[in-house]
Amino acid sequence: MEDENLKTFLIPNDLCKSAGIAGTWMSGNKIGVFPYHNINHSSKDAPSQYTKNVPSSVFHVKHEVVLFHPILRRLVTESMGIFLNLQTVVENKPSDYKQHLQQFSVQYRSVIRASLENLRDEVLRATGEERETLQNFITIFYSVECIWHLCEILYIENIPGHVVIKHLLEWVRFHFPKYERKAAFLLSGESIGSLESRQDYWETVIGCLLQGRVEVVRALLSCHSAANSTHFKLADQILKSMPTYGVYEGVSVQEFNLRWKHWLVDTQSKIDSKLFISEKNLHLMMRLIVGEEMAWSEVQSQCEAWYELLAAWLFYTEPTVKSFELGAFAKRCISRMGTRMHHLDRVLLAAMEGDVQIIKEIQHMTENGWFVTHLMDLLYHCEQLEKWQTDKEDSLKLRHSFVFEYGNTLAGHKSLWQLGLNYLDHCFPDGLAAIELLLPRVPINDESKAHRVIQEAQKRGLSHIAHSVAKIEGLKSLRNDRMGNALVWALRSQDSNFASFLADKFLKKYVDTGILPNVDLLSYLGSCMMASDRLIFLGKYYQFNKLHKDKSYREAAKALVSLIASKFTPKFFWSTLLSEALTLLECDELLLSSNDVFNLLNAVEERLDCLCELDELEPLIRLGIARNLSRALTYEAQYT
Amino acid sequence: MGRNIHCTYISEKINKIRWRPNPFNDPKQFVTGSWDNDENHIRLWEVKGFEEDTDINPFEINVLPFDGDVTELKCVNPDYLIATSNEGKVYLIKIATNITEEICLSHEIVWDDAHQGMPCTSFAVYDKDIATVGEDGRINLLSIMNKAPTRVIDDADSCTVNCVEFLKFNELITGNSRGQMKIWDLRADEEKASQIFMLSGDSIVAATCLAQHPTQRHLTAAGDEHGSITLWDLRQNTYPLNVMTSHTESVTEVQFHPDRPEHIFSCGQAGDVFHWSGIKQGACEESAWYTSTTNKYDIFMLMPQLHTTINSIDLNRDRLLCGSDNEAMYMIEGVNIYS
Repeated sequence: MEDENLKTFLIPNDLCKSAGIAGTWMSGNKIGVFPYHNINHSSKDAPSQYTKNVPSSVFHVKHEVVLFHPILRRLVTESMGIFLNLQTVVENKPSDYKQHLQQFSVQYRSVIRASLENLRDEVLRATGEERETLQNFITIFYSVECIWHLCEILYIENIPGHVVIKHLLEWVRFHFPKYERKAAFLLSGESIGSLESRQDYWETVIGCLLQGRVEVVRALLSCHSAANSTHFKLADQILKSMPTYGVYEGVSVQEFNLRWKHWLVDTQSKIDSKLFISEKNLHLMMRLIVGEEMAWSEVQSQCEAWYELLAAWLFYTEPTVKSFELGAFAKRCISRMGTRMHHLDRVLLAAMEGDVQIIKEIQHMTENGWFVTHLMDLLYHCEQLEKWQTDKEDSLKLRHSFVFEYGNTLAGHKSLWQLGLNYLDHCFPDGLAAIELLLPRVPINDESKAHRVIQEAQKRGLSHIAHSVAKIEGLKSLRNDRMGNALVWALRSQDSNFASFLADKFLKKYVDTGILPNVDLLSYLGSCMMASDRLIFLGKYYQFNKLHKDKSYREAAKALVSLIASKFTPKFFWSTLLSEALTLLECDELLLSSNDVFNLLNAVEERLDCLCELDELEPLIRLGIARNLSRALTYEAQYT
Repeated sequence: MGRNIHCTYISEKINKIRWRPNPFNDPKQFVTGSWDNDENHIRLWEVKGFEEDTDINPFEINVLPFDGDVTELKCVNPDYLIATSNEGKVYLIKIATNITEEICLSHEIVWDDAHQGMPCTSFAVYDKDIATVGEDGRINLLSIMNKAPTRVIDDADSCTVNCVEFLKFNELITGNSRGQMKIWDLRADEEKASQIFMLSGDSIVAATCLAQHPTQRHLTAAGDEHGSITLWDLRQNTYPLNVMTSHTESVTEVQFHPDRPEHIFSCGQAGDVFHWSGIKQGACEESAWYTSTTNKYDIFMLMPQLHTTINSIDLNRDRLLCGSDNEAMYMIEGVNIYS
């Protein structure tokens, strides 16, 4: 990289100045810059001299992306739709695939033109710096459209026989509509007095001639007050009989050349016999259409750009020029006009020369890769890129790298991140890896956005990211003391440890307060409780609790026994569970069979260690068990 | 795109889009609320050129900066609209014409602490009453006449409440992120739902949106995150009337046509808009939604599928507004509801 291309930015901070700086990538296009002093093995083992009481700051340095300007966002969002449609078409490969590609190219251009129009409207309203920025955008996107159009003609459109002159003229007319507008005005009959008395009459006639609008030229000539004179009539006839080449006109190139040469000789002879000499402009026109060098030198100043001259000149001198021959002619035109080459000129020349250099030039346009990404993608699908690259593999890589860069730029934006992901989807395999890194970094400030991120992750099969996002949301809910919501997130994250952790929290809360929280959720756990053992316990315990509350003691007793037998009971909960068992044991009605009681006793014996801290409970439980057992045994002996 | 679909790009993702009602039920203005942008806005638009068959172009009349994302936006009447934010605030916004005949949006009442700083997800309007719900599980009952809340049900729900509708002036239905639908009797003193039923069995499927039949208010449609729209007759809510599954991803909004409720419209995260037409030849109108056989209705896709989420739709007569994440709003004219 040449030094003059480097830009320097000052970080206005004393500490940075004295200590030095370091930077680290943040998300997207941001870099965090902070004061940093390098320490290595030879540094003295002492407190840094910079750790005085000066506060140290971190500076966020951001690369400005013009595409994020509100007025250009339309371009970004609308072109994404086209890009994705294109990818779908390419995947399906229909038979008229090439035609589709051309349509996509036109669609892209119409988006650019719509944006240009917006910009032009907006620039009238803007003032000061904003106005300058918008002007700048107009320049950029004008060039973009101009180059795209040319590339479309040269590489995308399927022109039979590569005879491009008609398309070139169209392109020139598109970008230099001045003469056509004037001609339309003159022909509309709104101007007063004879046409030729107007200063711009002949300029317009010749301008239209240069743009190949022979019909318009004839119409304008017929408005001349001398239109009925012989030399005007003759000129009109020559123009009328001028052969033009069209693929669908059923004339071969050789045949056309023959006719054209014949017409040329005929016209030349008429010029030589000085038939037009009385009207100098008419004479000039006739000399132009036969391609007389002197005449062309006279009018070339009327062309604003070398490519305007090129199209005109080729139309009258080389009407069957092939697209791949343009380069040499272009160079000739440039030297003829003595044009100082600007960036746009260089790109256009490179495009005409079919030079791979064009990619580099386009890349250097300051619109953050929108242009290069979309055009290269299109050219890749037109199999044009591989003609420039040595093999298909390389061209694929090249396309991927552009799409990847662009996708990354978008993904770094707060609002356009989803668009970025859509682009990254189409550069396998790095794209998915990038998405994997980018998705967890999308800032989430409410649940609806969390759901979006999760859905984006799941669409791409990145369930681990979906789960981790869900888990983070769960932790957030927990921090806000929303345990029920946290549990729902835990279930979504399919993290059984987290679910168990939360189930413990519920139970602990019950131990502490005697109230089971979030019963509306617990009562509808259903099969979700299968997520973890502890959750099953919580769910079952809730059922027991509810039965107990509803005074259905018999069912409650059954639930309790199965709870105890399940061996899922957490240590801290044993005392609560057993004290609740006590109420059932001591119930007037006999609720537990001898078998149940044995189970209970067994559990108590097994978990003596948990109970030792609750000395007063153990004898009570044992007493309860003994009394219930005696009742049960007596009952069972009597009735079974 | 078809001749009758008009698209306008506005450079911010649209979360909500609503017609502004007018006395003749022929609105020409609508409001949009944006989300996920550095600065969000509520914008008031006007459409010109309905009568002529020219290109319809909405132009912006007024814009109001908005703190946080607009999570819901509804017009209470032609002069007032209500917006909620993901910062937990509820705004009553007045649409007024000032001395210079310009139409302006301005804050009338701001309920700052409606949801304790947690996102407010949705609200419902019944005449002058508003019920708001949020991620904090709280239900607020507000009135546009009064800054003080009429009633607050704290901890109404353990989960995030995603959607709410009034069934009657004293009855609410809410849907939460667990997939529970709850009916609340507002006259009852206890802070508990009077009924709870599940949207979709045991599994965790969040309810995302709710819609009410405009005349038969016991008929409710709920959209969920898996793309189903479930229709319930709340007089017997043990079993849904109908489950309509054409959306491939989460349903973002569902709406009965305000004048022709035999038509339901819905949009989804996959970028699709559907028109469910409940009249078929021979079938008695209105009753279409009560029969559970699937072949009783027709499904139309109103627009080629977009690549981005369609967040919001709103209908008036045969005109449908859509707001999407691709920063474009669409107006579809001539939606077939009359034949």
